[in-house]
Amino acid sequence: MNSYSYDEIEVGQKEGFSVTVTEEALTGFKAITGDVNPLHNDEDFAVKKGYKGKVGYGMLTASYLSTLAGVYLPGEKSLIQGVELKFSQPVYVGDTLDIQGEVTEKNDTFKVIKIKVAVKNQDNKKVLKGSMQIGVME
Amino acid sequence: MDRQEIMERINVIFRDVFDDDTLVIVDSTNAEDIEDWDSLEHINLIMAMEKDFDLKFNLKEVGELANVGEMADLIERKLKEK
Repeated sequence: MNSYSYDEIEVGQKEGFSVTVTEEALTGFKAITGDVNPLHNDEDFAVKKGYKGKVGYGMLTASYLSTLAGVYLPGEKSLIQGVELKFSQPVYVGDTLDIQGEVTEKNDTFKVIKIKVAVKNQDNKKVLKGSMQIGVME
Repeated sequence: MDRQEIMERINVIFRDVFDDDTLVIVDSTNAEDIEDWDSLEHINLIMAMEKDFDLKFNLKEVGELANVGEMADLIERKLKEK
């Protein structure tokens, strides 16, 4: 786990990691949230709606941003204050996602950083984009 | 920039931060007047003001503010010091 202090972080700094979306991740997400929507749980339903299979929960993809902040940027001293997101493409079971964050702004008064986030799949298509505001604890 | 212009810009910032185009702030407006004005939104407000007015505050300065009028006074003073 990274443990950047506020002073060690620079605008332009990038961190990221990869993860593969599994059937177990969807099942686990359903168990935690109770979201039983068929788009995420019924292959036939999803195909009839024009998708190539069950669509991964957008909020599951978004949940990896928790890891991005809490483990990578800034890591241990992270305190997520806000997240703004758009889901631009569907995610499917088996997709390998590349989760990336880049520091765009620092606020010295409150020791807060803003990072631009993007999640791309194995075809280099952006499936999620947005921004996060993260406090960096002492 | 005169004080009225500062208040007008502060009003725009408030509307943006609280996502409320009907918001009208006056000198006496404080956190009790705006339901969503909590500690996190206070950080967002100050950060937005620093950016908009190209100023830097310190925690002591922003911790002593009692209302928007005092915020405008602080900004006016800081702009003159630049």
